[in-house]
Amino acid sequence: MVKTILAVDDSASIRQMVTFTLKGAGYEVIQAVDGQDALDKANYHQVNLVLTDINMPRMDGLKLLELLRKLANYKNIPILILTTESGDEMKAKGRAAGATGWLVKPFDPKRLLEVIGKVIG
Amino acid sequence: MSMIVDEQLATNFYFDKNFNSQAVKLLPGEYYVTDKDIMLVTVLGSCVAACIRDCYSGIGGMNHFMLPDGGGDAGSPLNASARYGTYAMEILINQLLKLGARRSNLEAKVFGGGNVLDGLTVANVGQRNADFVLRFLQTEKIRIVAQDLVDIFPRKVYFFPKNSRVMVKKLRNVRNTTISLRESDYRQRLHRVDSGGDVELFS
Repeated sequence: MVKTILAVDDSASIRQMVTFTLKGAGYEVIQAVDGQDALDKANYHQVNLVLTDINMPRMDGLKLLELLRKLANYKNIPILILTTESGDEMKAKGRAAGATGWLVKPFDPKRLLEVIGKVIG
Repeated sequence: MSMIVDEQLATNFYFDKNFNSQAVKLLPGEYYVTDKDIMLVTVLGSCVAACIRDCYSGIGGMNHFMLPDGGGDAGSPLNASARYGTYAMEILINQLLKLGARRSNLEAKVFGGGNVLDGLTVANVGQRNADFVLRFLQTEKIRIVAQDLVDIFPRKVYFFPKNSRVMVKKLRNVRNTTISLRESDYRQRLHRVDSGGDVELFS
């Protein structure tokens, strides 16, 4: 069965590149433009993995992470962070909020697919 | 492999007597954002600089970058060159948003991309940088309110984010090689950027 990934980023360029990468590898992709949009879509669709940016308007990635982990059907779904943030403090916050992994941009399509394969393979 | 060249926050502060203003000078690979009434200055050869500001709050910033060569299929949206350029632009935009700018209020002025470097193996480096920054801003729906791109001369750009003013001086008589040496050095560093950033799995 085809696995679905919710890809969340306020940058249209990043959404395009991530979607191109994931669809090329056979995943279905649902795009969201910020944390609030992602939360709405996560409530409506059940996905196999969430890939989210951190710095976004309306609701950032950490808040999204925190709220998703409170939803029964997202407690155990892998949530990967894809961000320009590389500081240890921010990573620690992500880890504490329940992130599965942290990828620092610029993203490498091959490594992104490897990591996704590992967590939902 | 880790990213070797990160976009760096500019650290070269000075007082500019001509403009009677605090100023920050940006070198290739640097960016700076501010909500203060200061001047951002850079000198561009084939690199490009995006001056982006929130048109209501005056929070603004500038970057100074060029795309690394190819890295796979040049026409693919996933080639290393486009991914690095997108990263360089996103760093600037993220810092503006952190200072309080709103994405929907952003407008841009873009400069540079002159074909001024000698001995380049890739033709039209400046044009490629200029095309990228225009395409990126169009994709992001960030309004371009001024541009001065390509041509054959280096430029000195003075940007005042608070009131949006930009002054561009075309350097028709450059007597030394400082600009091309700085850009060549930056370009060599970018050559080694062939991979993404760090990856860490927590569980």
